[in-house]
Amino acid sequence: MAKKLDLLTSLFSAVGFTPNDSQRAAILHEAGPLFLTAGPGSGKTRVLLWRTVNLIVCKEVPPERIFLSTFTEKAAHQLKVGLRYLLAIATSQTGRHYDISGMAVGTVHSICRQMITDRRFSPPGARPNPVVLLDELTQYFQVSRRAWDHLVAPLGKEKPEDAQRFLNKTIEDADNGSKHLAVLNAIKAFNRFAEESILPERELTCDDDWKLIREVHAAYINWLNQDEVQKVDLSLLQQKALQVLQTHPEGTRLFDHVIVDEYQDTNAIQEDLFFHLAGGSTNLTVVGDDDQALYRFRGATVENLVQFPERCAQRLGVEPTRIDLNINYRSRSQVVDVYTHFIDRIDWCKQSGQGHYRVQNKNIQAHRQDPRPSVVVTEKADSEDVYAELAAFIKQLKQEGKINDYNEVAVLFPSVRPHNGTPNAAVTGMRDALQAHGMRVYAPRAGRFLETEEATVVMGLLRMIIGTPHEPEWNSHSYQEFRRWLSRCRREALPYVEQDKQLKAFIDDRVAEKQQAADDLTALQKVLQKKKWAPTDACTLEHVAALTKATNLSTRAIKALSSKYFRDMVANRAKAGNPLTLTYVLNRTTALDWNVLDLFYQLAGFAPLRSWFQLAEDGTREDYDEGPICNLALLSQYIGRYQDEFTAILTGWYMHEERLANSFFRQYCYALWRLGESEYENDDDPFPRGRVPFLTIHQSKGLEFKVVILGNMGRRLREPSPLEVAVRDMLGKEGEPLERHAEFDAMRLFYVALSRAKDLLVFVDKKGGHVFQPLKCFRDLQLPKLHDLDIATLPPATAEVDDMGKAYSFTGDYTSYLTCPRQYMIFDKYGFVPSRQQTRLFGHLVHRTVEDLHQFLIAQRHGN
Amino acid sequence: MATRKKPTGDPMEERIRDHFERNYELLRMESGQVLTNELKQEALNQVLFYYRKMKHVAENVTRTEVRLALPEQRTPQGRRFTIEGVVDVVQEGDETWLYDIKTHDPEYVRQQPESYEQQLNVYAHIWQNLQRQPLHHTAIIATQYPKAMKQAWRTNDLAAFLFEFERWDPLIVLPFDQGRLEETLGSFGEVVDAIEGKQFLPRTEEDLDGGGKRRFATRACRNCDARFSCSSYRGWARKRTGNDRSAAKYFSDPATDAEQNDWVDGNLGSEDQTTSES
Repeated sequence: MAKKLDLLTSLFSAVGFTPNDSQRAAILHEAGPLFLTAGPGSGKTRVLLWRTVNLIVCKEVPPERIFLSTFTEKAAHQLKVGLRYLLAIATSQTGRHYDISGMAVGTVHSICRQMITDRRFSPPGARPNPVVLLDELTQYFQVSRRAWDHLVAPLGKEKPEDAQRFLNKTIEDADNGSKHLAVLNAIKAFNRFAEESILPERELTCDDDWKLIREVHAAYINWLNQDEVQKVDLSLLQQKALQVLQTHPEGTRLFDHVIVDEYQDTNAIQEDLFFHLAGGSTNLTVVGDDDQALYRFRGATVENLVQFPERCAQRLGVEPTRIDLNINYRSRSQVVDVYTHFIDRIDWCKQSGQGHYRVQNKNIQAHRQDPRPSVVVTEKADSEDVYAELAAFIKQLKQEGKINDYNEVAVLFPSVRPHNGTPNAAVTGMRDALQAHGMRVYAPRAGRFLETEEATVVMGLLRMIIGTPHEPEWNSHSYQEFRRWLSRCRREALPYVEQDKQLKAFIDDRVAEKQQAADDLTALQKVLQKKKWAPTDACTLEHVAALTKATNLSTRAIKALSSKYFRDMVANRAKAGNPLTLTYVLNRTTALDWNVLDLFYQLAGFAPLRSWFQLAEDGTREDYDEGPICNLALLSQYIGRYQDEFTAILTGWYMHEERLANSFFRQYCYALWRLGESEYENDDDPFPRGRVPFLTIHQSKGLEFKVVILGNMGRRLREPSPLEVAVRDMLGKEGEPLERHAEFDAMRLFYVALSRAKDLLVFVDKKGGHVFQPLKCFRDLQLPKLHDLDIATLPPATAEVDDMGKAYSFTGDYTSYLTCPRQYMIFDKYGFVPSRQQTRLFGHLVHRTVEDLHQFLIAQRHGN
Repeated sequence: MATRKKPTGDPMEERIRDHFERNYELLRMESGQVLTNELKQEALNQVLFYYRKMKHVAENVTRTEVRLALPEQRTPQGRRFTIEGVVDVVQEGDETWLYDIKTHDPEYVRQQPESYEQQLNVYAHIWQNLQRQPLHHTAIIATQYPKAMKQAWRTNDLAAFLFEFERWDPLIVLPFDQGRLEETLGSFGEVVDAIEGKQFLPRTEEDLDGGGKRRFATRACRNCDARFSCSSYRGWARKRTGNDRSAAKYFSDPATDAEQNDWVDGNLGSEDQTTSES
């Protein structure tokens, strides 16, 4: 035992880590459930990593017997990198190799996905059923385009608009017949139901309206399961994983240790999953901070954490050991004083008078006992003057060496989005002030992705080829806005076409090909009419001969109809008793040899797209910039989605009645527009250098900044949604009172914002701004003014810490890079969706099938 | 569209077909991409022929898709990184083999074995030195089969097919040489530095023209969607095609008729899909 402790101690010293008492206790805790409350900056990730390393290295628990989950992909990535790094250091001392490739480490979703597809979690030799995972965007399009009629059928409304109005009214109390809203609301209900295990077969009492919603939900689940390859959305994924575990004979003993990070952000179904997994060993460690719970709107229930001791006793039969990680290593002491003071501004006592809605007695302490001012407030003045003062201050921080880069100062907002088309005044005001001082900002969620320059130019060029959609019969404010965007796209693309004859010629040729396909289809349809052939008739070579003679048919179509390849195909299919239909023949004959994604890659050969690629090809260039290529990559992904959902091949049919333009712009892009998809964000990379990040408080979670400016202190408190009320009624669960949800959420939101600051926190007081009531406490605290702050008292800028290193695959990175660095950059690094390239798909298909073959043969040899 | 069936009487091959179709369906939905019928058939044949030819290997695989990792590497510029790879392991009697299965041309692997040797060397090192497990042989299995075999299969010429099948040799045993390991790790580190330093210029025009029997430009670039915006490829294409291309209105690089037919077949399917849209 002593020897093993020595090993751990020498590992600590190898990386220069001196844990405090509670950290040490948390790392060494042996058996049984463990409840770790972890305040801001308390070294929680480190503790988790070391706890896992201790299990693997000192306790010799095989890594595949450990389950370690967290909330975001980014955090999961950091855990894996950290583990690899610490285990490699352990290897250098023990000479043993520790392989975490079989360990269940990742986000809950990624581990759930592993559980339902990985053989390890199904009976020996059996192959788990394949499922297709629908992400949020695919779920939206699938529900709205493929499943909708099926889903609303149980409502028995004659007019679709009535069905939609019913859904909007019942789920969100919105008197609105919009399909877009109805789809979003239905999805919201489906996801919520799945997270709360409100499945169709479960008997629950509810009123008639909600009975109907539950029938719509049942129709949705049927629809997902109707094909051989089932579809699963992100919420049902967790349900499926739980089902797999519940049917697995060893389901409660697959892991010796279950460790869950960010426990305040877990939902009801995840809680079931964790208790099930830890059912055998009772070794369940949960870590989190209820004061930083931000994800109720995604189904998280902070009660999982607050009530963990009771629930653990009930479900595992053991009370957990509680350890408080209460020392904040991040912030100067006044910052800690301010946010701990703030969180107590409201009453957290339960209505019954027994207990609290918050974990009590956390005793948060600052490690940095620095008495000098670290929280200041601006002079209350007109907003423009306040913003100018802040801009000058940020500039001064850089000039006086208090920051190395502008990205060390974050401006945080409860929301940065425009509201009903009106820009967020606090965001634009601050941005303008910074720009006036020659600083740039980075605000990835402040605008729509479709409004970035790359998107408008590409869409403008595409519009010149694809055409303009018809005006819809319905009209709305938001469609008018979208139309203005479409006009702007054209305006921004036009100068490039006017300056470039080749680009003009390229566009003209594509437009001519479209017209030709449309004319050819008309000519062929006339033959069908004249001969009185039905489109569903089987096609023979005689039909082909007659079609070839259609009046005004283009040479291209004649060539297609008379080619040997095509005639053989017609003959062979007829002979095989599976003839082509005339419709197929018409489509095939009028198919263009490009689709929208091909256009995208071909347009990349012209300015300005070509230079956007070039900006990212050489990191030593003065003007190196990866901003544009990131947005181009996202564009290729969106166009790829269009092709999945609508069409990957363009036939004459699409050229009639502007069907292509209608489907691409009016249906697809308009939906993207309304969903308000935001700009490309790279999880691996920090914020771009040289820019001041403007972030939502949600985005800032888990991060820290040298200086934090709270850009907006207002928060509107909403009533609980009818969906939440209905879920609460159906389940009769106890929890935070519905009417206090908005208030609690706002408290936690600002708590997170205030606790991001390392050296300085700035409250932005200005005339006329709404301030969330409890935040007004900053006035009682008599904080020093910003203009009175002596910048010299701020700690100097520090060098960035070296990261722990990334993993590179021999074939996926090294060989691929050597084959062509540019191709590697485009398709591997930035994830462009390929159009014609098939080598990857081919390779994956062969490898997966060979793997299946081997798996089967291995199982067979073992007598299964 | 289903791939063509040829009766073999082997239930194992039926099973492979099942797996194959399921995997294809899944990958198609995940990637939103389709394979042309010809390529899809070829992918299936690669697995079927691998099984027929290398049955002794397939039936003896002890662990499949084993992930190997080599942590704590340093690049010349001092970055820390980990190398990862995947192998199949066969334990035959007292001997252990590491195989890497690739969809490459075996002749190409034989002619240019260097990069494959490098890769196997690294995997061997991880296996032996880090995981401290015995190792006796390393090999590549390259599942691409020659044109003549494809032709014989397509025309149902059984005698010719059997003849070609006998001659086809997808197994390339490449001895591992730990003496060259340092060199590979060094080169790997340089690539990591280049990636982190954002060095992504395309291969040079000279590189595009090289590559032996099949030029790099035809083997790799023609299949690359990003070629239209690639300065090297445009330069190469302009030089190669001379005047007639420079007279063109703009740079274009159209597919051949055969490629186009395959593409339409793959995407249009046999259903009347476009008429059901509304």
